[in-house]
Parts: sequence; structure tokens; C-alpha cells
Amino acid sequence: MSKDNIVIIGGGIAGMTAASRLLRLGYTPIIVEESDHLGGHVAEWHKLFPDMAPAQDIVQRLAEEVSAANIFLSTRVLFINRLHDTYIVMLNNGVSIQAQAVLIATGFNLFDATKKEEYGYGIYDQVLTNRDLERWFTTGDDPRLNGHEVKRAGFVHCVGSRDVKAGNTQCSKVCCVTAIKQAIELKEKFPDAEIWCFYMDLRLFGKKYEDFYINAQKDYGIHFIRGRVSEVSEGLDGRVIVKAEDTLSGKPVKVTLDLLVLMSGMVCNATINPIATSLGIDLDSDGFLRSKDNISHIVSSGRKGLFLAGACTGTKTVPETIAEANSAALDIHLYLTEGK
Amino acid sequence: MIDRVASGFHPFVLPFLFGMIFVLGYCLYGIVKILLQLSHEDRRRFLLSLINPVTAWKNIKDIFLNCLLHVKLWKRNPVLGYMHSSIAFGWFMLIVLGHIEVMLFVPHRMRQVWYPIFFNYFVAEGPGPATVQGALLFTLMDFFLLVVLSGIALAMIKRVRSRIFGMRRTTRPSFLDRVGLYSLWAIFPLRLLAEGFTAHISGGGFLITPLNWVFRQFLGDQLHMLPTWWAYSIALCIFMCVLPFTRYMHIPAEMMLIPMRNAGLKIKHARRGFTRAMVWSCPNCGVCIDACPMSVKKINLKDTTVYLNRNIRRGNEERIEQISDKCLLCGKCREVCQIGLDGPSIRIAQRAMRSYGLNQDYTSFRPAPAPAGHKLLYFAGCMTQLTPRISKAVGSVLDKAGLDWEIMDKDGGLCCGRPLMTAGRFVQAKQLIRQNSELIRASGCDTLLLSCPICYKIFKERYKLEGVRVVHTAEFFEELIQTGALHVEKGDIRYVFHDPCELGRGSGIYEQPRRILGRAGYLVESEPNRAESICCGGSLGSLTLGFAQREDMTRNALKHLTEGGPDAIATACPLCLATFSRYADRAVQDIAEILDRVSSKG
Repeated sequence: MSKDNIVIIGGGIAGMTAASRLLRLGYTPIIVEESDHLGGHVAEWHKLFPDMAPAQDIVQRLAEEVSAANIFLSTRVLFINRLHDTYIVMLNNGVSIQAQAVLIATGFNLFDATKKEEYGYGIYDQVLTNRDLERWFTTGDDPRLNGHEVKRAGFVHCVGSRDVKAGNTQCSKVCCVTAIKQAIELKEKFPDAEIWCFYMDLRLFGKKYEDFYINAQKDYGIHFIRGRVSEVSEGLDGRVIVKAEDTLSGKPVKVTLDLLVLMSGMVCNATINPIATSLGIDLDSDGFLRSKDNISHIVSSGRKGLFLAGACTGTKTVPETIAEANSAALDIHLYLTEGK
Repeated sequence: MIDRVASGFHPFVLPFLFGMIFVLGYCLYGIVKILLQLSHEDRRRFLLSLINPVTAWKNIKDIFLNCLLHVKLWKRNPVLGYMHSSIAFGWFMLIVLGHIEVMLFVPHRMRQVWYPIFFNYFVAEGPGPATVQGALLFTLMDFFLLVVLSGIALAMIKRVRSRIFGMRRTTRPSFLDRVGLYSLWAIFPLRLLAEGFTAHISGGGFLITPLNWVFRQFLGDQLHMLPTWWAYSIALCIFMCVLPFTRYMHIPAEMMLIPMRNAGLKIKHARRGFTRAMVWSCPNCGVCIDACPMSVKKINLKDTTVYLNRNIRRGNEERIEQISDKCLLCGKCREVCQIGLDGPSIRIAQRAMRSYGLNQDYTSFRPAPAPAGHKLLYFAGCMTQLTPRISKAVGSVLDKAGLDWEIMDKDGGLCCGRPLMTAGRFVQAKQLIRQNSELIRASGCDTLLLSCPICYKIFKERYKLEGVRVVHTAEFFEELIQTGALHVEKGDIRYVFHDPCELGRGSGIYEQPRRILGRAGYLVESEPNRAESICCGGSLGSLTLGFAQREDMTRNALKHLTEGGPDAIATACPLCLATFSRYADRAVQDIAEILDRVSSKG
């Protein structure tokens, strides 16, 4: 058992995966998690594409694997000071830890959909975000959906992604396929519903994503309309009227819907920024933390003993995050054993 | 006081004469050019206004107050005001008093036009005792010379350190501007010297007589007299000869501009007529540079109105186009401008001069009819459609007030036409205005309510809706509170109000929104506000301004707005709301939302 202390900031799937690996390598990592549970965003998710695996499975498995780690829930890092080759990590519960390595795995925040006011989130009851819908899939409880039969629903892609006016130019990677996944799930719940997806373009790069898209059209009859939604208003009967342009046919479209789901993108979880910058980690031009380089050293911060994993350095899928966390665990191990 | 030179002439007056003939000739050419460039009805209107006693009196008053006394500048910056009025009014008085001297003492020389300027050279003290008038005139002459000299001294200090005068940025003078500037600076010290060297012959007041005594202590001869008179005359000549090609053209041009404005002329062409008078009247002071919201970015400094004028004078078509396109048309440069130069209108006129490959025709649009049977129609407009919390709040307030109302463009509507108007596409804008007017008339409403000041301005100014009151939510809601139709419960939130360009400067509505906020909570002011409020950066006025540059403007406006530490930023324009919401660190709300939260049935 190594005596080296490793602090992992963030108890999402990145932090948990890294902790699990480090435990197997003989360390006892310390996980600091701001919320009252482990699992991060994935813990709130229902099923994961492309195989519709329940998100709870992976969170559960990881939680079991890290049960031997030191876990601080509902705890925040106040500041970190560097002292030669160690880091003094001060927590808001009064604990201070002298750590030989620190892993930042603080992930992302969901883009605040109220900022795209023209889509009416927070104003019209029929407008939800991808997270709201996913929660409803998991819990079956949302006052905006309870007892409603969905006959017509729409999904708006790229809400706060690739949007200069919203201050985010990056692609959030997962929303295209998430919209398809959620559209299929919704269709399974309401087989008679007509569903539209409004997209700029579909970025279906991952394994089996394209098949997923073809299935959505062939087996579920989901309509895909290439064109951004311009505005959403409330109709006379309380439903929402969505105006968009179908750029393939070159015509404006106007549909009345019972439910509109906004695919909110990922933005950097900025709570870590002051601490990261105090340790010499800059922000990259997309607002996420800057890795040593974006090709071969994504998990390295360029600072001794300081590592990064997961969506804190950019938008990531679940498998990418897990792969990075594994890689970070190995790098930490090599750093601690081979040479500081 | 008696004539000293028998002929009443000396060759040193020739440079002055030449300069004066040249500058008067050029001004005459300018006047004729401007008059010919005016449209027939504008010319008629202008010439008739000159003989109308009311406008004629106003012209004289305005020219006296603005060109000579610089009253407007005094209010803005007393030091600069003093500097300008000391030179302008002092010089004017020197000329007037010079004429009085000639009239009183050598009336037979009235036709020799150089006499009032070089009076001291041509006269000698008479044999008899000094008269009271003579002494008084000499004293006054010296007094005003001193006044002008003090103004020149300030001008010299300003050239070196403009920040002392509260000016952050100013324009770089061109080569000819510098020639004009230095010759202007030289005129009065040279006059002081010339009169000083001559005072033992001509006599003089409290300034030049002692000066003459000092000179005579170590310069015993009279050899210095003539060269300084020559130098004085040459300085005058240089100044007058370069004047038409420098910023100093504003001195004669403003005397033309004021009557034209008082005649009610409008800018119709980006180069000709009224615009020409405006461009010539620009003194290049650069007040608009500090005022322009684009100046947050150094690269945009040269897109300000003063540079538009400069490029119009130089005929640099490429830059005129760029500058005209970039502007947000917030109107702040017009507000702060000492001569009231209308930069935004010149830009719109420039945009109107373009020929487009595609000339859209909106007459074929068939919008849904406006709902009939309601006295009050609410036109949300495009921007409010994109900010639905405003339209929801407006509806809720109207319901609480128990009014019979309906949204005019609920099922999609036509644009009000203002964006096309600012793009200079008047034909298309008028098509929309006609269509909307028909819809409104057909609905039978008697009040048209608008929450968007962009729509409000054009509905108010360009639509002819007899019998229909066009009203902005800020005005209308304030009336609802006044009449007791709404009951308002005062909260403890501190609001700062951002004056939207189109509502404040554009439509002159400043008080009503503030009164609403004062009832809803506490109002904190953050300068610059009201007529000098900083554009949010989201304006539709600009056609080519980049997003990154707009972001800097928005952040700068927010920085000023939040200086007083308000809890929330209130505004009355959906575009300002959307723009500020992107970067604000606290809530940004429309007055309708705020009122909806604190009001109940009256």
C-alpha cells in the first residue's frame, strides 16, 4: 500500500474510474465531490447510447469499485497551494490534505437554456431540456409532463453549442446522438407521437451512431429537419408553436407541439477555474481547461503532479471520459513511482 | 486721433486683403454650391425661412449664442467653452470695436476695409487732450485682445495636454490643419507686438502702452514697427487662405448650417446640400470619439463620425462606405456634438445610395389580418417574439388592468420596417409600413401598444394612423399606475435603468420607465445615462460590426451600468434585454416583467 496521497476533484465517472484504477494499483485516493452523491451527470441519465445500456449500471459498478477510497461528499476544495513537489489541498470542511498528486475531473456544466430565450425555456411549460427529459425517463415524475399525452414533440439540436451569440463556439459532440436516443425513447413511450428533430447538421461520428440514426427514421418514423429553430411562441391552445426553416426544401416550417426538448450543450464547469489558474493551468480558447497538448498529452496539465481527466478539458462522450480517466490513473502511477 | 498716413494705404495690408478676398470668395462659392445642391422645395423652404421674422430672429440668436459665445460648449466643459468663446467672441469684438474706432475718428476711411484691422498703424494721437471715448475704446480693445490671448494660451496648453481639458481622445490634425492652427496662434501675439511697437504714436490702452514703454527701454529705434505689422498681416493671410481646406472651415460653415437647420431641412443625400454644410461645420474636436460606443475597441476609433466627415471632405469612397456600415446608429455622437451634426442620418443616406442586385418586393406578402373587435392592440414585433418573457409579462399586466386587448402579430406579423429604414432601403420599408397600416386600420383599434422601442419609433414617426394612439409600454404602464388601474406593491430591489437608444435619444422617453421602477423598487442611477446612455452593442443599426467587437461594447456598457451596485438591470427594449442577458452578472429585466411581479388588480 503506497503512502502517497492522491486527491481527485470530482466524483463523476472520470473521477470514479481513475479512483478505481488507482485503488487497484495500490493507492488510496481521496475523492472530493461537491454534490451529495457520486456519478455526476451520468447518475442522472436513464440509458446510454448506442446500446441503450442503463446508466445506473455503470455508476453502480464504479461506486462499488471505489468504496475503499476516501470519499468526501458535499465538499468543495477552497484552494490548493503548491509546496515543492506536494500540494496542500484545503477543503471547506476544515480538512487539509498534503497530496503528492492531484487529478482534476470536474467535468462540465449543462448550458443554461434560459439564455436562449427565443426557445422559451423557463417561460413555456412545454419546453424542457435534455436533462429534464432524461430525469423524467428515470423518475417518471415531472409536473410539466405528468398526465400529459404527447402527440407531437420536437427536439432542438445545438442549444448553446456552436453558437457565437451564446458565447460557445464548440460542438458538444453528444447532443446529436442523444437527441436521437431520446426521440426513440419518447416514441417508445408514446408510439403514436410524431417527432421532429431540428438540426444544423448531424455529427454522428461514434461507433454505431449512424445506425442509430437510420433506425430512428426507418423503425420509429422520426422526422429530421435541417434548419435552426428561429423562435418559439405559445399558441392559442397553450401548446407551443415552433418556427424554423427547412433548408433542404428552402421553405419556412411552422409546427405546433405538445413538447419541445432543447439539447443543451456542454460548457466548462467554471467553479474550478480560479483554483486551476492559480496552479498555472490556463483556459483554452473554448473556455475549458488547457491540456499540455491536445493530441498526446490530454491528461497532462504540464505541471508536475497535476493531472486532468474527462470533460474539464473539453466536450467528451462517456467512453472517451473513461479512457482518459484510465490513462490519467496510469500517468499518476508512473509519476509517483518513476520520478517526480 | 488723426490720420497719420496720407494715402491711408501701405503695402503690408496686401496679404490681408488677398486672404480676405480669397476666403470670402470661397465662402460665396460654398453657399452657391450648397444652395444649388438642395432640392427645389428645400431651397424654397430655406430661402423663405430667411425672410420669416421668427426664424430670422432665431437664426441671429443661435449664431450669436453658438458661434460666438459657444453656450452649449460652456455647459459641457467650461474650460473649453471659455477657450472657444474667448477667441471667437474676443476676435469678433476686436473687429466690431475697430469699425467703431474708424467710424468715430476717421469716418472718411470707412471704405478702406483694412482700416479697422490695422487702425493703430494708420493713426496718431491728436494734439488736443485725450477724449473719454478714445480712452474707453483703447481700454476695450486691449481688454478683448487680452481675452483672445488667454484663449490662445489655453489652446496651446490643450494641444500638449488635452487630458487636462477632460478630453481622452481627439483627432490628429492634418498638415493644413497645423498650418491653420499655427497661423491662428500667431495672429494675436503678432498684433500685440505690432500695436506695442506703435503705441507711442497711436496711443493705446492698459496693455500696449506699458508694452511700448518696455520695448523702448532697450529698442530705441522704430525699425521693429513695420516688420511686425507685415508679420501680422501675413499671419492673417495664411490663416484665411488655408481656412477652406482645414477644420477652421467650421467657423463660416456653421453660420450657414444654423439657418438651414432652423428652416427644418433634413439630410437627404450623403454628400450634397445640407450634408455638405454639416461636414464643413465639423470642427474636428473629436468629442464623438469618446462618446462612440465602438471606441472601446481601439481599431474602431476611426469609424467615428468625425472621421466620416473627414473622409467625405477628402472623397475617400472606400472609407465612407466602411464607416457608414459599421455604425450602430445609437445617436450618441449627435447628442454630444456641439454643432448637432447628424452622423447617423448621413450614414443612412450613404446606405441608401447603394444599388442592390436584388430588390425585394414585399407588396405580395399577405399577412394574417389583425384581430378585430379590440380597442387595444399589442404589436410585439420580431424582437419581442424572440424574448417571450416580455410579451407574457405585458399580457399579464394588461389583464390585471382589466383591459380588452389582443396581440396583433400573434400568428406571425410583418416587420415594422425600421431595420430596412436604417439600412437605407426606404422603398421596401414603405411597403411594409403601408401593409401594416392597412392591417391596423382594418382592425378598428384605437391604441397600438409596443414593447419594442425600435418598432415604437417608426410607428410614431412614419406611420400615418389617424385616430390610433401609438404608445410604448413605458408610457402606457405608467399611466395605468397613475390612474389606479394597477396596484403596485413596492419591493426592496434596487434597479438601474438602461436607456435604450431608440426610446431615450430616439423618442425622448426618459422619465416614465424611471417612475415605474421607482414604484416597483428603488432606482439607482449610473452615469452616463439618459441622453448619453451607452448603446448595449446589440443594435440592428450596424451591418458589418463583428460579434467580438459587439461583445466588448456590451461588457463596457454593463460595467458602467453596474457601478452603483444595483440588484438588477432594467431596460425597456427586447434587444437590449437579449444583448445584456448574454454577459450580465445579475438579472436583466424588462420594465414589463418587473411591473408584472409587483402589481395586482387596481
